[in-house]
Amino acid sequence: MKNVDVNPIIEICAVNKSYEGRPVLADINLAIRPGELICVIGASGCGKSTLLNLIGGFVKADRGEIRLNGRLVEKPCRQCIMVFQEFDQLFTWQTVRHNIEFPLKNAPERLSHQEIRSRADHYLAMVKLTDFGDYYPNQLSGGMKQRTALARALALSPQLLLMDEPFGSLDAQTKKELQETLLEIRQETRATTVFVTHDIREALYLADRIVVLKAGAVAAVIKNQTRNTDETRVAEITALLSP
Amino acid sequence: MKIKAIFLKPYAKYIWIILMLVAWEVTAKLAPVSPLAFPSLELILAALIDSVINGDILMQMAFSLGLILIGLGIGVVLAFLMSFLSVVSPVFASFTDTCVSIFHPLPGIALLPLIILWIGTGSMAILFVIVHSVLWPMILNMTAGFKAIPEVYKKIGMNYEFNTLQSIIRIFVPASLSFLIAGLKISWARGWRAAISAEMIFGASGGIGGIGWYIFNKRVFMDTAGVYAGILMIIAVGIFVEDVVFGKLEKNTIKKWGVA
Repeated sequence: MKNVDVNPIIEICAVNKSYEGRPVLADINLAIRPGELICVIGASGCGKSTLLNLIGGFVKADRGEIRLNGRLVEKPCRQCIMVFQEFDQLFTWQTVRHNIEFPLKNAPERLSHQEIRSRADHYLAMVKLTDFGDYYPNQLSGGMKQRTALARALALSPQLLLMDEPFGSLDAQTKKELQETLLEIRQETRATTVFVTHDIREALYLADRIVVLKAGAVAAVIKNQTRNTDETRVAEITALLSP
Repeated sequence: MKIKAIFLKPYAKYIWIILMLVAWEVTAKLAPVSPLAFPSLELILAALIDSVINGDILMQMAFSLGLILIGLGIGVVLAFLMSFLSVVSPVFASFTDTCVSIFHPLPGIALLPLIILWIGTGSMAILFVIVHSVLWPMILNMTAGFKAIPEVYKKIGMNYEFNTLQSIIRIFVPASLSFLIAGLKISWARGWRAAISAEMIFGASGGIGGIGWYIFNKRVFMDTAGVYAGILMIIAVGIFVEDVVFGKLEKNTIKKWGVA
């Protein structure tokens, strides 16, 4: 099944993780190819956030290893940016535009003022917030905050985007709009994305492949070329998730 | 109803002040009080204007404010260093905690006899008292602010490959600004009290003395109106710093960001 002519961007080999003696993830193996959008799905407490934190280098595996472009992941890095569920991930003291410019201003490679501005403009437009650049986060709706967070992550052109239930706290309508925006962005940037969710329909709508986690192990990896979100597909995955 | 509305406005403070001044004047004029203990507003105002014109009170005030500013600066820098080290090292954090619980409740004035033994009387001693008054409440607020930083901010700092100092300066400090401003307000108030008290005790030997010394001096020469003029200056500066300096600072930062 492995696509031999494309090297995986992420390789997860026999990864184990436990907290205080309680195993959270057991023997996880997964390869993610460049440009893929992977959804990791599972009940709460199944270890999906832990998996994302392991890939991002925020926590260390007990055993096994994770490689990003062949290099061992040991700590968080700018090539691999995380978008969180929390609305307060935005910097309250900066406007939307300055939030997006923040990682660029503090980049090790010195970017010119104009370069930073034009990149911010570009990503503001991409998340449809062009008119809201001068707003402070406390003036924004939840959906707009998450759009800003997405733009801030994209501004660094990371090789890998990690998304930890970013739309989990949004109402259904806003969620739908953000999902569409995410798919449009993907068309444009081809950013490799690992997206954690517990919403089966969301996974079916977004993912190229769906990784089903159950009790800390990969229960199934499902190809999802059709992006078909009808009830039979939902039932299929629900069956995989139920004990 | 109209009158009630007036007293709900932010300027209500000034209406009360005017009422108090009127009450003062009526008492001074009509009650059988000695003008030595209870001078009328004209006398106080005359003393104040006289002192402003000959520059004495302004110079003394500038001297005191200058000392406070230097003390605040030193205190804030030291507090930042100790808070920074406390973030880096849990061992140092427990040391800081211990220092705060020992020294925070200790008024600077209580240390004055010792300070006089160590560094004598004068500006340096006053500065020492101010730094002591500023340092501990500032550390208390800074460390509390840093502890209240949301976990996501720390993760974002790691994600951008910031080292601890970069994370603190670029994320922690602005994120905990409401704590830092609160700390600054407490520090200012304490430093100000400590400075004036210390000046009253030995202002003369170090330079020009300061506003505390000014008041003390006026009392020595039984110039009660002059004492009140000095007190009025202290109140005016206090209101100015609270309303204008900190008010502006808050309006342009935490109130604007909606985190106050």
